[in-house]
Amino acid sequence: MKVSDARVCVLRIEGTNCEEESYLSFKRLGAKPEKVHLKQLTGTDVTSDEKRSLADYQVLVLPGGFSSGDYVRAGAIFAARIKSRLSRDLEEFVRAGKPVLGICNGFQILVETGLLPAMSGIMTEVPEAVLSTNDSARFECRPTLLKKVNRGSCAFTTKIPSNKISAIPSAHAEGKLTFPVDRSKKIVKELDDNDQLVFKYVNPEGELAGYPWCPNGSTENIAGICNREGNVFGLMPHPERVFFRYTHPDWTRNPDGAGDGRAVFESVLGYVSKKL
Amino acid sequence: MLSSRLYVPQDTPFELTEIRLSEASDDELMEINRESGTGLSLDEMKRVRDHFDGMGRNPTDVELQSIGQAWSEHCCYKSSKMFLKEYIFGIDNRQVIDRGDAGVMEFDRDHAYALRIESHNHPSAVEPYGGAATGIGGIIRDVLCMGAQPIALVDPLFFGPLNYPFKKLPDGVKHPKYLLGGVVAGIRDYGNRVGIPTVSGGLWFDESYTGNCLVNVGCVGIAEKRNIRRNAVRGPGDVLILVGGRTGRDGIHGVTFASAVLTQDSEMESRGAVQLGDPIMKEPVMHAVLEANEKGLVNGMKDLGGGGLSCVVGEIALAGGCGAEVDIGKVPLKEEGLAPWEIWVSESQERMMLSVSPRNAERVFHIFKLWDVPATPIGKIIREKRVRLYYDGTKVFDLELDFLTAGPEYCRPCNASAGGRRRKEKIPKAKTRYDKDLLKLLSDQNICSRDWVIRQYDHEVRANTVIKPLHGKMGHWTHGDAAVLKPVEESFRGLAIATSSNPFAVAGDPYRGGKTCVDEVCRNIAAVGARPHSLTDCLNFGNPEIPDRLWQFREAVRGIGEVADDLDLPIPSGNVSFYNESPKGSVLPTPVILGCGIVRDVRKCVTSDFKKEGNPIFLVGETGQEMGASAYHRSAGGHSSKVPDVKTTALRAGMDVITKGIERGVIVACHDISDGGLAVASAEMCIGGDVGANLNLEKLGRLRSDVKLFSESNSRWLIEVRKGKEKHLPKDRRTKVVKLGRVGDSSLVIGSSRKLVDLEVEKLAKSFGSTLWRMIG
Amino acid sequence: MQSQVTIKMAVAEVRVTLKKGVADPEGKNTLKALELLGFEGVRDVRSVKVFEIETEGEAGETKRSVEEMCRKLLANPVIHNYSIRIK
Repeated sequence: MKVSDARVCVLRIEGTNCEEESYLSFKRLGAKPEKVHLKQLTGTDVTSDEKRSLADYQVLVLPGGFSSGDYVRAGAIFAARIKSRLSRDLEEFVRAGKPVLGICNGFQILVETGLLPAMSGIMTEVPEAVLSTNDSARFECRPTLLKKVNRGSCAFTTKIPSNKISAIPSAHAEGKLTFPVDRSKKIVKELDDNDQLVFKYVNPEGELAGYPWCPNGSTENIAGICNREGNVFGLMPHPERVFFRYTHPDWTRNPDGAGDGRAVFESVLGYVSKKL
Repeated sequence: MLSSRLYVPQDTPFELTEIRLSEASDDELMEINRESGTGLSLDEMKRVRDHFDGMGRNPTDVELQSIGQAWSEHCCYKSSKMFLKEYIFGIDNRQVIDRGDAGVMEFDRDHAYALRIESHNHPSAVEPYGGAATGIGGIIRDVLCMGAQPIALVDPLFFGPLNYPFKKLPDGVKHPKYLLGGVVAGIRDYGNRVGIPTVSGGLWFDESYTGNCLVNVGCVGIAEKRNIRRNAVRGPGDVLILVGGRTGRDGIHGVTFASAVLTQDSEMESRGAVQLGDPIMKEPVMHAVLEANEKGLVNGMKDLGGGGLSCVVGEIALAGGCGAEVDIGKVPLKEEGLAPWEIWVSESQERMMLSVSPRNAERVFHIFKLWDVPATPIGKIIREKRVRLYYDGTKVFDLELDFLTAGPEYCRPCNASAGGRRRKEKIPKAKTRYDKDLLKLLSDQNICSRDWVIRQYDHEVRANTVIKPLHGKMGHWTHGDAAVLKPVEESFRGLAIATSSNPFAVAGDPYRGGKTCVDEVCRNIAAVGARPHSLTDCLNFGNPEIPDRLWQFREAVRGIGEVADDLDLPIPSGNVSFYNESPKGSVLPTPVILGCGIVRDVRKCVTSDFKKEGNPIFLVGETGQEMGASAYHRSAGGHSSKVPDVKTTALRAGMDVITKGIERGVIVACHDISDGGLAVASAEMCIGGDVGANLNLEKLGRLRSDVKLFSESNSRWLIEVRKGKEKHLPKDRRTKVVKLGRVGDSSLVIGSSRKLVDLEVEKLAKSFGSTLWRMIG
Repeated sequence: MQSQVTIKMAVAEVRVTLKKGVADPEGKNTLKALELLGFEGVRDVRSVKVFEIETEGEAGETKRSVEEMCRKLLANPVIHNYSIRIK
C-alpha cells in the first residue's frame, strides 16, 4: 500500500504526553496519523462519529508519557485497560503483521501487556519482563547513544545500518529492562538467538558502558527489543525527539543531515508500503 | 474564642454564621480577624464593618472570608501596586496582546505566546514536594486560561547553603538539602508527568534563605492568535462551568499564609494551606480545555488559584462588566461536610472556571467526559455587578463587586535604613596566580554544574527544545545561557527563554541590582542568537511593612523598569511575593526575571561550548573596576559597595553585535559573563567543548588581574569566532570588541603581563561537575 | 425511620515487595539520603508498596478478587511478591 494511505493510530489516555511529536513524525513522512483516545476504540463515552476500530489502521503507536501517572507501575494501568477491552483486536492486529511501536511509556505498556518480549506466541498471559526503576532511582533525561544490534528481523530499523550508533535521547525513571533473576541470562540468549534484540546503549566508542551512557542499569545495556516476527517493537529512548538534526543535543557542533530518529519512522513506513 | 454574642449561627441545615461586626469593639474586630484567619488589618476590618453598616446588616462568615481573600496582599498587591504602576505597567508596545493571568505577546503574524512567573515560597518551605508541585500546576493554568498550550517551564530556586550545620538550624526549619531534594522531586514528578519541558531556571544558595526558601515557577505557552481568550465572561447568560479537580479542605487560607511571615509554628498551623497536586488530573484538563477552546466553545476562562472560587467568580464576571449568581452546593467535593465558606475559599488544585454560552455547554461537557474530567455548571452571569451565592436554596452571600474587588492600596513608609548598613571596603590581596581561586569558584554552590537537577527534569518532551539547558560535546556538558524552542511546526522562528536573578547585587545596591537582573536576562537571550522581546518578573522580598525592605523593593523595581523601558521590553505579567522572612530575618531581596526573545531562524542558534581549535576568541563589552557583590569577593572575603551598573546604550550595542554575528554565522560559540567573571565563563566554554583556550587580558587595560579575571561588569560576552571570518564580525562603536586569544590544546591558560591561570580542562570539569553530586548524592 | 440496608464490607491490605535478588534503587538511595542527612546506624532500607482496597462482599470472596487484582495489575511476577491480608 502507498505510504500516503497508511493510517497510524497514535493511542492515548490521560497522562500520555508524547503523542503530538509521535503524530508529527508520521505526518512529516506523508502517512495519515491520528491521535486516538483509548475510549474511542472501546466505544465508551463517545459519539458514533468519534468511535474507531483498531482494524482500520495499519500502524499502532503507544507514545511516551506517564499514562495514568505511572501509578502502580509504569504503564501497568494502561496495559490493564487495553488487555481487558482490546485483547482480541490487538492479537489480530499483530497476527496480521501490522506494526506496533511502543516508545518509552509505550514500551513499558507493551511489556506489561505481554506483547513483548513474547518469545512464544503473540501475547503472553502474564508479563515476562518488567521495566523497573533506574539504578539511580531518579528520572534521567539525558542524551543516549544506541547501537543497532538487530540482524534484520525488526521492521522499525531496516533503514539503519548494522552497528550504526544513533543518538536518541532518553527520559525516564523506569527503564531498566529486567527478566526473572534466575533465568535472565538464558532469556537474553534466547532473545539474541531469535534476533529480538534491537538497540543497546553504548558510549561514543561503541562499547557497552556503565552509567551514564546506560542511564538505567538495563540488563546487558538493552534499550529496545522486538517480538519474534519483528513487527512489535519497544524502546525506552525517544526517536521522535530527534526527527530533525536541530533537536539533537549537540547539533550545533554537527548541524548537517537528518535527525537520527527519522530512520525508525521511515523504516516502518517502508515496511507498511511493501508488506501491507 | 470570643463570646458567642458576636458569632450567631444561622438556622440552616448547614454551617452558616452571622458575624456581628456592628457590635464589636476594635479589640474584638482583631480577635474575629485572627480567629477566622482572614489576615486583615484593623483599618481594613473597620472598612468592612462600615460597609455592612451602610447596608443595614452584618456579614456572613462566607462574606467575611471572601473579603479577607480578595484584600490580601497576594490577591490585591496593596503594598506594591503604587511602585509597579510607576515603573512597570507603563512600558507598552504594539506587541502586547493581553495582560491577564499571564501576559500575551505577539510571536508571529498568526501566533501569540503567553508568559508568567510566580512564587510558591511559603508552601514549599513547609512541604517542599507538594508545595513545588502545586506551584507548577498553578503556573500552567495561568498560561492555559489565556487559551495557550503550555510549552515550557522554568524554575529558579533559592535555598540555604547545602553544608549548613544541622545543629544551627532554628526550630521548625528544615535543612536546605531536604528542601532542595523535595522541591526538585516535586517539580520533576509534576512537570514530567504533565509533559511540559522544564527548560530553564537557576539555583542560588545563601544563608538568608535557610528559614524561607524561594521557589519560583514560570511557564510559557503558545497559541494561534484566534484562540487567545481573555479572563472574562462574554455577557449575561453565560454559564460558569467549574472544571477539573474536586474541592476539599486542602489549601484553605493559602493566600493569607502567603501574606504573613513564616514562624517556627508555621508547619503545624499551615499544613492545611498546602495543597496536593494531581498531575494526572491536570494533563487531561489541558487537553480538554484546549480542545473546547479551539472549537470556539469557550467565551473566557480563568484559573482557580489564590482565593479559589471567591476570587475567580468575581474577577471573571467583573472583567466582562457583569456579576454572577452561583449555587455553591453544586461544587463537586472531595469529602462531605464542608461549610459554604470553606468551599468558597478552598484552593484545591487542578480547577479552572470556564464561561460558556448556554448553547455550547453540552458540547463542552462531552469533551470533558471523554477525558474523565469533571465539568459542572455552578452558576450564571448576571447583568448586575454583584455576586450572589446560594447554598441549599438559602442566600449566603450578596455583595457588590465594586466593593469586594476594591482592595486597599497603600503608600507605606519606605526609606533606606539610616547608617549601620555601610560596610567598609575590603579588597582581597593581589596574587601572582589564580588557579586555586578559579577552581574554588567553579565548585562554588552558586556556580557549579546544575546537571544533578537539570537531568531530573524532562527538558525536551514535545520535541521542540532546540537549544537545551546543557551544552557541549557528548559526555562533556556545560551551562547554556538560554533555551530555545521551536513552537510552530511550519516555521523556523524560535522563542528563547532565560531566567536571571542576582540577589547579591540587589542586596548591595537594589537599584543597580535591579538593572543588573534585566541586563543578565538580555545577555542570556542574545547569547543564543535571539532578540529580547518581553519580560515577566517575580519579586521576592521581605516584610513590606518594614520601611527599608520596601525601599529595597522600590529601588529594585525602579532599576528593572528603567532598563526594560529603555530597551522597549514590556512586562505584561508578574508577581510580587512579600513577607519572605523567618525568625532569622529577611531573605536577600530577590527579583527574578524571566525573559523571552525571538529567534528568526533556530538553525542559526549557537551554544556556549567551544567548537574548534584555532578559532579566535573575543570579548564583547567593557570591563570595569566594580567588584561589589561579585562571586570572587564572596569567595575571597572581599567587600565593595560598588555594584556593577548598566549602560543601556552599551547593552543594546553589545546585543546587536552578538545577534547579528550569530545570524551571519560568524560567531560559533557564545557565553555571557556573569558569576565568576571572564575566568569562569571561559572555563565553562572549555568544559563543554572539552578543549582548552589561550587568553591574554592585557587589552583590558589598567586593571588589577583579579578584576580582569573575575569582574562581573554587565553587558559582556565571550565569543568564539569562525577562523578567517573575524572581518565579518559586526562593529559598533558604543561597545568594545577585543580579541583575547584562541581555542586550542587541553588547558585553559589565561595571562596578562604574566601567566595568571593554567589548568587542565579535565581538572576544571571535575571541580565544576562534582559539587552537587557530592553534597546531595 | 428508614430501613437500613447493611452492606458487607471488607478491607484488604496488599503488600507488594521486591523478590529476593531484585535491585531496589529506591531503598538504596533512601539509605544514602538518610546517611547524608546525618542519621547513623541505619543498616538497610527496603521499599515496599502497600495498597488498601475496600470492597463489598464477604472476606473469602474479597480474597479471591484481590488475588485477581494482583495478577492483573498490582504486581509484576517478574520482580514482585505480594501478600494479601483481609482486615
